[in-house]
Amino acid sequence: MSENPLQSQLITSKLIASLAARTTLETPGVLRLEPTVKGFLARLGPAALQRLSNSAGQNGTYRDDGVRVTINDNVAVVHLDIATDIAYTALNVAETVQQRVRGNIGHTGLTVGKVDISILAIEPPPPAKIS
Amino acid sequence: MALDDEPRLGCGRSIDRIWTTIDQPLNAHEQTCRQCQAARAQLKRLNEATQALREADLHDEALTPRSGVKTAIMDVARAEIRRSKRILLASNGNGTTEISEQALSSVIRAAAAEVPGIHARRCHIEISSATSDSSVDDPPSGQSGVIGPHLVIGLRSAVAPDINIPRTVQLLRQRIITAIPAGIGISAGTINITVEDLYDV
Repeated sequence: MSENPLQSQLITSKLIASLAARTTLETPGVLRLEPTVKGFLARLGPAALQRLSNSAGQNGTYRDDGVRVTINDNVAVVHLDIATDIAYTALNVAETVQQRVRGNIGHTGLTVGKVDISILAIEPPPPAKIS
Repeated sequence: MALDDEPRLGCGRSIDRIWTTIDQPLNAHEQTCRQCQAARAQLKRLNEATQALREADLHDEALTPRSGVKTAIMDVARAEIRRSKRILLASNGNGTTEISEQALSSVIRAAAAEVPGIHARRCHIEISSATSDSSVDDPPSGQSGVIGPHLVIGLRSAVAPDINIPRTVQLLRQRIITAIPAGIGISAGTINITVEDLYDV
């Protein structure tokens, strides 16, 4: 029997995508992650999504609304599509997102590769809902 | 001989052809062919049934999309458009940051909306050259520490008939020069404003 432990992948690209999305949305100045067709179909229901290929690609890539994560050789590469608040400086917001996402993914034990950010929209924040 | 999978009547006419011309008057052959007439009569009943089903589906509440579905579809469509043209803002070992032309334009339009007497129309943005240091050709005054791509902004506008056009355009230019570093974090670069029309107040 081999003394080498079996390699198991507990940290999936889906988990890292969820972590990156949450970190992004908690960053001041970020309004939202920009939706994709696949994310929309996922909200409609599993049946709609099954018509497309699997969200978790065979090469370790996971895509959801505004976030794409690829894990290869223990290195996580992240791409985020965001909308920012016009009251903030978009480049500063993106840099803060980049740093926070890198920090949080680093805590999982994975090596963090590039974290690319696309600012797709700059808008005033939506009016607060009066409850 | 090529294989022909089209279903045909005994007279040789294609059923698909009869189906596609079901709403048209009988042609010369169909006026005398009993097989075509029988097929048309049956297909007409099928046509009426499918039309009735389509009408029923239109008014079936169970088939009505949930509220918000249309909004979600439009959000996806708008996001896909924003993904089209992007401008690189910064790049280092940690990754890249880019911005869509639409996002940049929205900051310019928001700045223009603050200037009375002028309406922003089409906004076109090009990059003259990417700069990685502070050697920007034409840095705006007071923004010497702000670097990035050198933008060439072409903004078309319409103005109110009673304004001082040179003064208003200069005010707009200053607003844009202030708004881009504040809203995006890069220098405004070159701003070409064209007044192409007057609008009625």
